[in-house]
Amino acid sequence: MKVGGILGVTVILVLIFLYQWPKLKKNGRKVKMTFFLLMLLNWVLAVLLVIFPEMPGPGQLIDFIYKSFETFW
Amino acid sequence: MIEKGRISYLELALIMYATVVATAILYIPYVTSQHAKRDLWLSPIWGSLSGFLIVMIIVKLSKLYPGKTLIEYGELILGRTLGKIISFIYLFFLLHDTAIAFREYGEFIESAFLHKTPIIFVTGSIALSCAIAVHGGIETIGRCATIFLPIVLALYILIYVFLIPDLNVKNIFPIMQDGIMPSIKGSIAPHAWLSQFSLMSFLIPLLTNQQKVMKWGMFSVIASVLTMVFINLGNLFLFGGIISNLYFPVFEAARFISVGSFFEHIESIVIAFWVLGGFVQLSSFFYMLILGTSQWLTLPSYKQFVLPIGFLIIIFSVWSTPSFEEMIRGMGTTMPFYFLTVQLLIPVLLLGVAVIRRKRSKSFLP
Repeated sequence: MKVGGILGVTVILVLIFLYQWPKLKKNGRKVKMTFFLLMLLNWVLAVLLVIFPEMPGPGQLIDFIYKSFETFW
Repeated sequence: MIEKGRISYLELALIMYATVVATAILYIPYVTSQHAKRDLWLSPIWGSLSGFLIVMIIVKLSKLYPGKTLIEYGELILGRTLGKIISFIYLFFLLHDTAIAFREYGEFIESAFLHKTPIIFVTGSIALSCAIAVHGGIETIGRCATIFLPIVLALYILIYVFLIPDLNVKNIFPIMQDGIMPSIKGSIAPHAWLSQFSLMSFLIPLLTNQQKVMKWGMFSVIASVLTMVFINLGNLFLFGGIISNLYFPVFEAARFISVGSFFEHIESIVIAFWVLGGFVQLSSFFYMLILGTSQWLTLPSYKQFVLPIGFLIIIFSVWSTPSFEEMIRGMGTTMPFYFLTVQLLIPVLLLGVAVIRRKRSKSFLP
């Protein structure tokens, strides 16, 4: 199950990469670097979410920061 | 400027209208009625205050820095390092907000129609079609808005026109039974939704003509508030006191329609048309996020990042909230404060610093 999820995510990201690469080749170094960093971030986050689906996310961070406001309401 | 396309005032107003209203009509009746009960139709009127305030601040800022978005003038106002940090907070918020909008869309489609489909397929497929629109640039989204939104607006009105025989106007009474406070407490969700008008700062530089932007921004806020009041009133007339138990009153209302006992089950048509509005909303969010990101990194173009950022949005939409109930609870409690701090406090801070800077630089000049 988990192996399948990781494989699926990787396949989608590789497809995105293959689709974008011909257009990306003409661009400068900064654009390429940003693209690769984004893809890396995507892959790491997706794999982490496949392995630990209950990982605390940004929603919990917001809850943690703004919890004290709730009491006024 | 990265974007070459230009939009008109009407397109700006319609895009902002779609951005606020498309999911607002689904979720606001439930969240508001938890506090406001029968006064839920008053809450969007209180919520309009933050909408008007934010439009005024954003228009003022765009007059001080013409042709620049919030990400760009943030850097000019606060200096490079601090400006980048503030813009990053804003961009992270925008990513989160976009992810929440995709999640709201997916949860609605799933609970209404596709009960057994994994939500990631629903959000993923709409993200792919939005990516095509975003790749076309702002003009594509503007045209989509002008074509789709009149249909969607007509639909909102038609639902309640078909229901006229079942509407009971007496359900509105007693008005303000427990004073004014419940409706103000319930107004927190409309405040959060209307504070999204701060996203207008991404669209103002793309206008062909910028003199009357204040008027059209206000027009858009008024239209959104009137729609919310109309939807809330329609639901109240139809359902009365039980409204606080229904997650999607608009959908339930559409299910209720029965004209002459042969014109029934039209909720599928209603959703099919609602999706058009949702599409405009999601693609404008998506577009603003990508434009903001490429301006933050000062990149020469944005088209290469449409698919990777779309993937990131889908990851965030899965990651940000564990469940539907949790999301609804957050909308009534912590989320609005988050929306208001980022979308109201950051523009106020930027405007304050910008005005002080202008005054000081003037007094130093001979």
